[in-house]
Amino acid sequence: MDRWFLLIATLLAAIGGIWGMISVHRGTRSHWTVVWMVAVLLCQLGFLSIRGQLRSACPLHDLGEMLVFLAWSLTLFYLLIGPAYRISLLGVFSAPLVFLLQSAALIAGLLTTSSTPDFAPNIFHSLHSAISVLAYGVLALAGVASIMFLVLDRQLKVHRLKSGLFRNLPPAHELLVSVERLLWLGTALLTLGIIAGFLMPPTTPLHSHLVVALAVWVGYAALLAVKTLRGLTGRKLALATVALFILSLVIFARI
Amino acid sequence: MELLCLGLNHRTAPIEVRERFAVSTPQLGAAASDLATLADATEGVVISTCNRTEFYLAASDARQALVLLEARLTLRESLDAGAAVHFYRKVKSDAAVHLCRVVSGLDSMMLGETEIFGQVKQAYQAALAAGTTGSVLNRLFQRAFGVGKKVRTETSIQEGSTSVGSVAVDLAEKIFGHLKDSEVMILGAGEMSRITAQSLVSRGARSIFVSNRSFDRAEALARDMGGQAVRFDDWQRALERVDVVISSTGAPHALVHRADVEKVRRARKFRPLFFIDIAVPRDIHPDVADIEEVYLYDIDALEQLASEGRTRRQLQIEHCERIIDAELAKLNLPGT
Repeated sequence: MDRWFLLIATLLAAIGGIWGMISVHRGTRSHWTVVWMVAVLLCQLGFLSIRGQLRSACPLHDLGEMLVFLAWSLTLFYLLIGPAYRISLLGVFSAPLVFLLQSAALIAGLLTTSSTPDFAPNIFHSLHSAISVLAYGVLALAGVASIMFLVLDRQLKVHRLKSGLFRNLPPAHELLVSVERLLWLGTALLTLGIIAGFLMPPTTPLHSHLVVALAVWVGYAALLAVKTLRGLTGRKLALATVALFILSLVIFARI
Repeated sequence: MELLCLGLNHRTAPIEVRERFAVSTPQLGAAASDLATLADATEGVVISTCNRTEFYLAASDARQALVLLEARLTLRESLDAGAAVHFYRKVKSDAAVHLCRVVSGLDSMMLGETEIFGQVKQAYQAALAAGTTGSVLNRLFQRAFGVGKKVRTETSIQEGSTSVGSVAVDLAEKIFGHLKDSEVMILGAGEMSRITAQSLVSRGARSIFVSNRSFDRAEALARDMGGQAVRFDDWQRALERVDVVISSTGAPHALVHRADVEKVRRARKFRPLFFIDIAVPRDIHPDVADIEEVYLYDIDALEQLASEGRTRRQLQIEHCERIIDAELAKLNLPGT
């Protein structure tokens, strides 16, 4: 049953993305993208709640679950932030990433077939996993908004302003403000996740997972410090945000 | 009852003739009442904008009413017989189609402009308040407003910018969003920069700095626009804080070089900077565009975008006319 929810969520994300892209190509705004993404979120919740009940804990025990949790977090923050900042196009850009993350989770082996209950869940372990993945969802959304900025920036630079995409993209300043706010929120959540990680019972020695997590945190903190204190061009901020998110995916490979 | 329209506009009459027939907004109701006193007429509406004056009437014999109205106007304005060439005459369904075209902006100087919709509405309301509309004109105007709305929502007749000034303003909004936090600097107190800057201010730009070789002219323009004059030697310092630079000096060579912008980047914290260069020869060296956060548009780029906008609107005319025909065909309007 859980896989069916995931499969439907993945298909809905694909349909939402394609639907949105067709609308953008025609030069119209797709308000339906938000509806598709709400449906995606509901199916993701269905998947995560079934997995959570089976495990009797937060469903973050294998890479597949983490990827779905990440996709859920990305969808959730898109729905919270996208309409508020009137950047409905963000959904069109987010849907393909949600589709990719969930498709990866569906690859054989990433999602364990029998979800066994976790009889001794540790609160800090659950908090560490949940808050960290939530943070990566926010940072993924910052990456998506950055890509939108890079597309707009390129079009403005080379005076290619005829496309439906250009007409529908929100102003460059609004995108940069969104990127910066998402970076602050994501980094704050990441900080809490790392603190929770340090409070976990010391069952495992310091390993590469912690090193990569700290490196990612330092990267985001440095980016925000440079942006705040010295200033940064929109293009550099956007490129660094995308690069840091791709780098942060290493975390998932080290699990 | 038959519907008729007598009018003149920017295509049929020069401004010297148009201004003689212009009716001020507060006088529209009285003008409609006067129109309705014409022998044979029962209803009347007068539309008057800077580009057109039109008289809509419902009369039992449209041809006869047209002759009478024309004679009355010619006599009142002491025009010679040759003045008749400036008028266009529409009767029955042609008059209804014409009104729908006017309301939809298809007959405007700036194709697809939206202001005309409000102006026609105002004229109709004035006539309504004066009691000079009845079953013919009420249905006609209400239908025309419905058609105008449909044309605007179902076509892209009003989309895109069609003038250099509006292209510049739209680009500024695409970069900065709301312009309420944006500051603008004008280099050179020319007419074109004044118009463009005025458009930015009308969309909310926070403050204007004017720099010109002649400080007196800079001060005069700054005063006109509620801005601040900057000595020509100091424009580089002002560059640290502004978001948009509009340049149209008569300098024979580039005035703003890459080094000038590089110098202020740190102080600006690498915020986006939008250069609108409407001078020929160009004031901004093309190398400035290579700076990451700079968006540079010269007069050719802006004119090309405006021309594309105009072409896009032209391509929509046929679609709009199909909507008008279809909508009017749905109803059997009285007087047509």
